[in-house]
Order: sequence, then structure tokens, then C-alpha cells
Amino acid sequence: MVKGTITVNNKSGLHLRPATELANIAGKLDSEITIVAGEKRVNPKSTLILMSAGIKKGTTIEVICEGESEEADLKVVLEAIAGGLGEGE
Amino acid sequence: MQEWKVQKTASKGYAIGPAFVVKPQKIEVDKTQITAGQEAAETKRFEAAVAKAKADLSVLAAKDDIFAGHLALTGDVALYDGVIGRIKAKQRNAEMALIETQDEYVAVFESMDDEYMRERAADMKDVAKRLLYALKGIEDNSFAAMKEKGIVVAEDLTPSDTAKMNMELVLGFITEEGGVTSHVSIIAKNMAIPCLVGVGEIMREVADGEQLIMDASAGEIFIKPDEALILAYQKKQTDFMAMQKEMKDLSRLPSVTMDGHAFELAANVGNLEDIKQAIKHQIDGIGLFRSEFLYMESRQFPTEEAQYDVYRQAAELLEGRELTIRTLDIGGDKGLDYFEFPREENPFLGYRAIRMCLDQSETFKVQLRAILRASVHGKIRIMYPMIISISELRAANEILNECKAELKNESIEYDENIQVGMMIETPAAVWQAEDFAKHVDFFSIGTNDLTQYILAVDRGNKKVAQLYDSFHPAVLRAIHHTIQAGHQAKIKVGMCGEFASDERAVRLLLGMGLDEFSMSATEIARVKYELRACEQGAAAKLAAAVLQLETAAAVKELITEQGV
Repeated sequence: MVKGTITVNNKSGLHLRPATELANIAGKLDSEITIVAGEKRVNPKSTLILMSAGIKKGTTIEVICEGESEEADLKVVLEAIAGGLGEGE
Repeated sequence: MQEWKVQKTASKGYAIGPAFVVKPQKIEVDKTQITAGQEAAETKRFEAAVAKAKADLSVLAAKDDIFAGHLALTGDVALYDGVIGRIKAKQRNAEMALIETQDEYVAVFESMDDEYMRERAADMKDVAKRLLYALKGIEDNSFAAMKEKGIVVAEDLTPSDTAKMNMELVLGFITEEGGVTSHVSIIAKNMAIPCLVGVGEIMREVADGEQLIMDASAGEIFIKPDEALILAYQKKQTDFMAMQKEMKDLSRLPSVTMDGHAFELAANVGNLEDIKQAIKHQIDGIGLFRSEFLYMESRQFPTEEAQYDVYRQAAELLEGRELTIRTLDIGGDKGLDYFEFPREENPFLGYRAIRMCLDQSETFKVQLRAILRASVHGKIRIMYPMIISISELRAANEILNECKAELKNESIEYDENIQVGMMIETPAAVWQAEDFAKHVDFFSIGTNDLTQYILAVDRGNKKVAQLYDSFHPAVLRAIHHTIQAGHQAKIKVGMCGEFASDERAVRLLLGMGLDEFSMSATEIARVKYELRACEQGAAAKLAAAVLQLETAAAVKELITEQGV
């Protein structure tokens, strides 16, 4: 199991479009992925669940990956979030 | 005739025409239990409905981004698990399982404290409705009946609804639900269709085909208006459209008054996205680039490279027009997560802006170097905030000169003639404006802080906010003095506070001789329209008369009398 933390910097947090983008990216990975935001633990492979977590701009979240390709998958997820999930800066 | 008052205007304008009332389509949902052994068949039914909905959405997604989101929700694993779980564990039929799953997420969204997220409940409902139709094997055709132009009146309008409408027939939108960030509001604004949202229980009052007038500028709806009112509103509508068109046409015309006096219109921005929006408005330049946003949106002090990259792109976007970068203006009410400001009794009188930069000169140098390096890519001007003394100005310029010398040593190019100016936002800067004018290339009057410091009023404090008034003669005379001092030294004087776009102030400021008006980009077309209709000569007379007055009330009275 590997972990990493990152701050969400999207203008309006993880709303429909960025959540969709993240779910699409996470959905293609083989690892079991969990995002921890405060008390909430969510599965980023679902847009619906990501949105219902209501993660706002400036929230620091922890990404946990478990599986054979966990190292590479963690990197993919962290980079996607750092890159703004299709919303630019 | 009946009259309705509405609070939330999503898109301005007028519409006159028959109501097209969208009947809430209550599709009959058979909520039944299934018997053991039917689970697999019921799962298959749901999967088929998902496949049908996804096929429809794929087509729509190519045209509108919002449907890409709906497509993702339709195929979402959590939605699927929720529905299938209920079919298997509780023997619900697919419809009932879907509605229960929808309700679960709608409840979550609706409980959120952010309006934008709350409105995403509408997306969930829209997706579920699409799936219900697919399950029943019927098409939703609530808009097929719309054959002539009309004002669409509905409980709420989802993206699926608006996608099915023939927009050419839509004169206006009125919805009971929804906020100004809802889907229909955004569509209406983009297409310049008048739109009122959150309109109580309008559906009860309006019958299909009834004549309506909607005034989305004032937030009024008239049901069954008389002939005279219709005529009056037809005139308002014609005038409004003519003005919209004129403002748009004007934005391409030069910025000159009726009597040929040139003025400059510039935009205030905080990031590259703002600049991309601003250049759509035919601006003469950027009068204020608030560089602090670069710092506030970062997790540590942004590096020279990162800043250079942003300033360079900004300069390139402007294609030779002026880009005025205000150096870091932080402290007061604006903090940084990664830098601890001392706790202060009076933060607005404390460690902020240029004071902090001169103290943290290494940080300041990083920014100045980045600006200098970017200056070869366009016409950049440097502007220092909050200067109160010549010695501060000298100290800042010394650091700037050090940076120039360093770059020269490193054989890195920069604009040798880069202009350096300062904000006039303290009484000290006003009193010594003549002295400062000899040492800088331009002034920019920051009326928000200037008003607060001259009047000693914190406008964030509700108890005294009514005392905050930029029409106070002391503030107006300070502005006038600054412009005079600047012009004596033959330097340009601009203004980048909210006052520069105040409809009662622009003519007065023109009369005082202000050279550059810098404001939020969306205000530019209006201000240009107002200024182009002015005569500088007459405005100068107004300014001279205003400067004799003793109270803010008298100033406003005179301005109103002279008709702005």
C-alpha cells in the first residue's frame, strides 16, 4: 500500500467536470484506490461518490493505492489532480 | 393584469409573447417488488436502459460538455451498485431501485453548503429521469408541442430539456427553481435570452398561451398585460436591443469623446484566464494585474521561473498593449498560507504591500526579475503599491536596479525602457504627488484604499460602512490634485479602483483629466458608451463646479441634475 497527499486546486473543487475526469482516470487503473478527505473515505472511480464528498478548493486529501501497480497508479492520480483535472489553472 | 416581482435575474433583457408552460411530466413509475429469481432479468433491464441512455448522451456530449458529465453519471459504478444492490437485496424493480438510489444522492447534494454543488442535484435528477424513460421505452417529448415563439415557463429546466428545445422559438425563460449558476441560467446568458429564475409559484398563475411581458432587467413579469403596457414594453425592448448592439459596435470604435478627446480603457485582472476574457472586450491594455493572486494560489512563494512564465504569457496575450503589473500587495486583509504575518492591531496600517517587499527584499527580487525577464515579450509596466515616501520609492527602485544589473551580468535580456509607476492610495502620496511625479513614469489612483485612508473608514465594518463614500469632497479633491500633479510632470494618470467604472463618476473623472480608466472587463462596454457620449469641455466645467462643493450629497445632486 502506498500513500500520497495533495491539495485540490480546482476553482470550484471537485464538481461535475473535474470529478468525471478523475473518475475516468482512476477507473482505468488496476489498484484499489481510496481518497481520504477529513473524515470521508471515498472511491475515486465513481463520479457520483467523488461529488458527494464535496471536496472544495484548498482541501488537502490523501490518496491511497493498493495493488500490483500501486506505485505507478498513485503517481498517475496525484499528477492528474495536480494538473487541475482538465480545468487548467 | 397581474404583476410579479422577481429577485434573481439570470440574464437581462425583455421578452413579450405567449407563455409556453412546460407541464411537469409525471411519468407513471410502477414501483413494485419482484419475486425471487427475477433479479437477473431486472438487472438486464437496467443495463439495457443504461446502454440506451449512454448512446443518446454520447451524441449530445459532442455538442455540450455538460452531457459528458451526464454520460459519466449514467455509467457511474456507484449508481450501478446502488440500483443493482437494491434489486438483489430488497427485490425492488429497476424503477424503484433507481428512484431510491437517486434520492439518496440528491439528498447528499442538497445538503451541501455550496450553491453550485447543491444545484448538481439537478444533474442527478436529469440523469435518473433519462434512465426512467429508457426503462419505460418511451421518448420524452415535452417540447414537441412548441411550434411558435414563446416564453418558456417551467418548474425547472434540465440540460436534457434545453437540448430538446428549438432555441429560435425561445423568447425568454422563467423557472420556479434554480439559481443564477444553474444550467438554464448559463445557457440563457450565453445566448442573450432573458431569464428569470427562482420565481416562486409562477406555474400556478400562468396558463399556457397567455400573453406575458417579462422584464428581466428590473425583475418583473406581467401576466395578461393591456395593450398600452405591451406598447410601452415593445419600445423598451427595441431601445434595449439597440443599446446592446450599439455597445457592441462601439467597442470597436476608438476611445474618444464627442469633442475628440482621447481616453484609455483598461481592465483589472488577477490571472491569465481573466486576461483571456478581458481581451474580448477591446481593451487598450491591463491597468492592474493583481500579482498577489499568483502568491495566494500557490503553496509556497512562486519561483522566478513560474512567475516569468505567467507574466510572459500575459504580455503575449496582450499583443503589444500595456500590461501594468502591480508588485505583491499582500497583508492587510490578504494573507498567505505559507508566510506568517505578525498579528497586528491595525493590519491596514501595518506590515503590507511595499513595506513587506522592502523588508523581504529577496522575495521582492524574485518577482522583479521575473517581470523584467518577461518585459521583452510585450509592453510591461511595473507598479508599486502603498508608497508613502520618496525614500520607499528610492529603495524599491534600488532593488529594481540591482535586478537589472544582475540580469545584465547574466546576459539575460529585458526592456531597458520599462516604465515604473506607483499607486496613489495614501494621503501621503497625494500630498507629495508633485514630488513623486518627478520620479515615476505614471500614477494609478487606487480609490478603494484611498477613500478608506482619507476618510479613516473601514468599509468592511458595517457600523461605519455608510461613511465610506468616494464622492466625499476630500476624496474628489485628492483625485484632482493627483491628476494635476501628474500632468504638470507630463506623466499619465490612471485609476484602477471601483470608482473608475461608477456611472456617476466617469464623466466627472473625465472632466478632471483622468487619462486611463481601469476596471473589471465586463464594465468596459458600458463605460466606453458613456464616455463616448461626453464632451470633455462640458465635463471639465462639471468637474470645476463639483470641486467647489462642500458635501458628498451636493456633489451627487449636481451630477444627477446634469444628467449622466
